[in-house]
Amino acid sequence: MIYVISEAEDVTTNYVLEWLLYYKKDFIRRNFQDVSTLNFLELSNDTLDIKIDELRKVEIKKIWHRRARTRFTPLSLRKIPSMYSYLKKEEEILVKSIENILKKDIDYIGSFQKEDENYKIDYLLLAKKVNLKIPDTLVTTSKEKLYLFFDKHASIITKDLRYPIRVNSENFKITSAGTTVITAKMLSEMKNNFAPSLFQERIDKQYEIRIFFFKDKLYPMAILSQNDESTSLDYRNYNNLKPNRNVPVLLPSKIEEKVINFIKSSELNTGSIDLILSTNNEYIFLEVNPQGQFDWVSKNCNYYIEKDIAEYLIN
Amino acid sequence: MIQQEIPFVLIANCIPVKGANQSLICDLQRNNIVHIPNDLYDIIIKFEGETLHEIKSYYKNIYDDTIQEYFEFLYDNEFIIFTKTPNLFPKIALDWHEPSQISNAIIDINESSKYNVEKVIEQLNEINCKYLELRFFKSTNLNELSRLANFLDNLKSSIISIDFNMPFQQGFDELSLFSFISEFPRISSFRIHSSPFDKFIPPKKAQSGYIIYSQQKVKNEKFCGIVDTSLFAINIKTFTESQNHNSCLNRKISIDVEGNIKNCPSMAQSFGNIKDTTLQEVLQQKEFKKYWNITKDEISICKECEFRYICTDCRAYTENPKDNYSKPLKCGYSPYTNEWSDWSTNPLKQKAIEYYDLKGLI
Repeated sequence: MIYVISEAEDVTTNYVLEWLLYYKKDFIRRNFQDVSTLNFLELSNDTLDIKIDELRKVEIKKIWHRRARTRFTPLSLRKIPSMYSYLKKEEEILVKSIENILKKDIDYIGSFQKEDENYKIDYLLLAKKVNLKIPDTLVTTSKEKLYLFFDKHASIITKDLRYPIRVNSENFKITSAGTTVITAKMLSEMKNNFAPSLFQERIDKQYEIRIFFFKDKLYPMAILSQNDESTSLDYRNYNNLKPNRNVPVLLPSKIEEKVINFIKSSELNTGSIDLILSTNNEYIFLEVNPQGQFDWVSKNCNYYIEKDIAEYLIN
Repeated sequence: MIQQEIPFVLIANCIPVKGANQSLICDLQRNNIVHIPNDLYDIIIKFEGETLHEIKSYYKNIYDDTIQEYFEFLYDNEFIIFTKTPNLFPKIALDWHEPSQISNAIIDINESSKYNVEKVIEQLNEINCKYLELRFFKSTNLNELSRLANFLDNLKSSIISIDFNMPFQQGFDELSLFSFISEFPRISSFRIHSSPFDKFIPPKKAQSGYIIYSQQKVKNEKFCGIVDTSLFAINIKTFTESQNHNSCLNRKISIDVEGNIKNCPSMAQSFGNIKDTTLQEVLQQKEFKKYWNITKDEISICKECEFRYICTDCRAYTENPKDNYSKPLKCGYSPYTNEWSDWSTNPLKQKAIEYYDLKGLI
């Protein structure tokens, strides 16, 4: 049995499952919205056994953890915010432990743990370790320090350390999915001390590269966003009238080697890496997304990633 | 900016296609086409990966202005980029795959149809069909349609898209149809023919279903097979399918008004009747798939047409009914003059029109 963990609204999962249907292979899909059954997780001094959704460990051949995570908490409890905010934390660490247990014996692709702990600073350090270039980065609470950083670089940006900004207050709402340029005016209006924030030098780019990877295979796509004012900062500021050109691209073998080393040392077996090719001809690592979207990569480049994944799962 | 000394490469999903007299760039990402002269096509193919300077000198600098103008056009449309590493930009793979034995089905229904539509839908589900078109050549009503839509819902059907094609009548107003669409998200369109007016109504927010009212009368399956720019599909899926298969008949199945199982309802050949033959059985017959791999590159005239990879084909009505590789009868385009004319009045087509008994429709 192939066990698929996803979200109800994730169409990319559907595309992979269509192939499994076509090849007439059995699978179970559990969405974040569903209530999964934890029949048991039992351990003693000499045993360890686990049964989820009526499936024993030996019955599961492969797990594809595409999005989110499984949830065991009954719907009635999820509806009570005060209860669920606590139960959720308990459930999250349980899901991580289950993932660790299953990983030992089952080919488990994707990870909630890696998604949850996708800390930008850690991955910048890891990229540095495998000799990929990274942008000059500052994390600080001090305006004074930020001024020095601002003066040192032609332009600087800020983005989140882990969680996309989503603040819902009674009086205002703040959301941001990506990157913001810090202007001199913004700086002058800032308080002397602020919450810990990440800043990076802004890199002038020839193009961006999105590399989806699944096991040993890389699917790189160039995002030619530099011509467009709205996307030259961050391709996520989509321009719907004239979408960025997205095309298949190759990495120079030296860079490809470093990327593969990065993936190995990150212990990720799937995900999406964002690189920039700078105007100085340097490949610069930006970030990695363990559960990133790949359907747009597949469609724009005619890669048929969904078919490859399905074939990996059944072989 | 246009660069004279940096090599150019084409954007991989903008693919030039050469015709007898003019070429196209098929922009498969932004879903549009742009005409280019054949000599620009030749320049792109011959010189991709080289610099403008090199191209201009190759032509001994006689055509500098024209070449400059050509490349400004290509650059303005974002069909090319300039890069010092053209080798890092590979061509896009043109393979085509589809995870179902049958992707599309057509079910035709008229006054005298007696077969069981639900049974067909059940069998389509078994073979993972994705797109269904239901064509009514008789009047119908929303009760009948909602019975079918409910049936699909209860089946948790593999069919993700339904197009209803039916004659206009009282009750088919925008409001009622959109409320129907919001109830059944599988519905991708209502195509209302024999309508007192022409109107296209795009999908409402967060839905995909749209409505087309057309004054055109569609009395039976013989109205199909028209080749027209409005029916072009400019996307990577159709483009790649056309390279490898027949863009009209590949992975298609249909049930005609009498319940006969055919590749296309307009074709004569039946492979059994749904009352005693299953779709799965028909798929085992090799003969059923005989048109699936006839590509536009093999069809006379079409193979010289610049629209060949975005066009619908038609193998049911061809200029020479005896020849499987003959041009679609209902195409009025000439790739030699680049003009569209009325196919039905073309004197060379009259014999075939008579053969298929299409006179009454024109």
